[in-house]
Amino acid sequence: MKSVLTTVIGAADSGSRFPTSSDLESVQGSLQRAAARLEAAEKIAQNYDAIAQRAVDAVYTQYPNGATGRQPRQCATEGKEKCKRDFVHYLRLINYSLVVGGTGPLDELAINGQREVYKALSIDPGTYVAGFTQMRNDGCAPRDLSPQALTEYNAALDYVINSLA
Amino acid sequence: MLDAFSRQAVSADSSGSFIGGAQLNDLKAFIAAGNKRLDAVNAITANASCVVSDSVAGICCENTGLTAPNGGVYTNRKMAACLRDAEIIMRYVSYALLAGDASVLQDRCLNGLRETYAALGVPSGSASRAVAIMKASACAHITNTNNTTGEKRKMPVTEGDCNALSAEAASYFDMVISAIS
Repeated sequence: MKSVLTTVIGAADSGSRFPTSSDLESVQGSLQRAAARLEAAEKIAQNYDAIAQRAVDAVYTQYPNGATGRQPRQCATEGKEKCKRDFVHYLRLINYSLVVGGTGPLDELAINGQREVYKALSIDPGTYVAGFTQMRNDGCAPRDLSPQALTEYNAALDYVINSLA
Repeated sequence: MLDAFSRQAVSADSSGSFIGGAQLNDLKAFIAAGNKRLDAVNAITANASCVVSDSVAGICCENTGLTAPNGGVYTNRKMAACLRDAEIIMRYVSYALLAGDASVLQDRCLNGLRETYAALGVPSGSASRAVAIMKASACAHITNTNNTTGEKRKMPVTEGDCNALSAEAASYFDMVISAIS
């Protein structure tokens, strides 16, 4: 799974050389930033339910007929639950990606094939974008987390939004 | 290939849970000791050639039959292959120590090694003894106790307690030994 450490080791291995001092430097750079990433990951682990709920509310404000556009408003409960489940799923993978320090978990477990799945299910990816945009607007430093951690969190959200756009 | 971080991601994903609390504290400890780990990797890679040739010379001294005709390292060709293999093992141990996870060692080095050595007629007892010598020597370099009588090696590092890292490196060498013997 792609992370800074595995990328460095993979490159060293394909050249069959021991980790050089520049390899170790780049690992050190990543470890220095890791504290902020782990802080963001911890905040997600603690608050994912509230974050996802705010995102779902934003989606249903912007798309009152649900993600498929076919759902009458009064039957939206089931759709809302599924929508929230999906946002929690994405937040879990963002949590992993922040821990790993690379986009590996998001790429492998969500983004590969997501376009095809949403197309097959007639779900407008724009609905997800609406939710993630809400998450991005909700994050506030230093109220919720430190500025550096917020930067890492927003970068992960931007990565997901771009994958859906 | 996994590292200490992606190992947590994979194990959390298998239960669909978030990474938080105890797992994050483990990773924070990993980061806090990060410089120590890089020094340890540096200590064994900087001395790799010495550690490797000492280990092969060591088995030859302990068992003079190895260099005699029909011995395990008789002919320079076999001796060179032995040195090369010891260096490869050392390299993968250094990767595992850097990653904080044994998957790179297991997947890329040890998987099928026993069968390969059996097919090539490598004496597994001598091979695992060479790994044991590398283990002792590498651990001494990590804890900076490789020279207790004279001057310490000429690579100044901040003195600290590296026993945990030395034990971790030892566990990777033990994995190699159990994989080939």
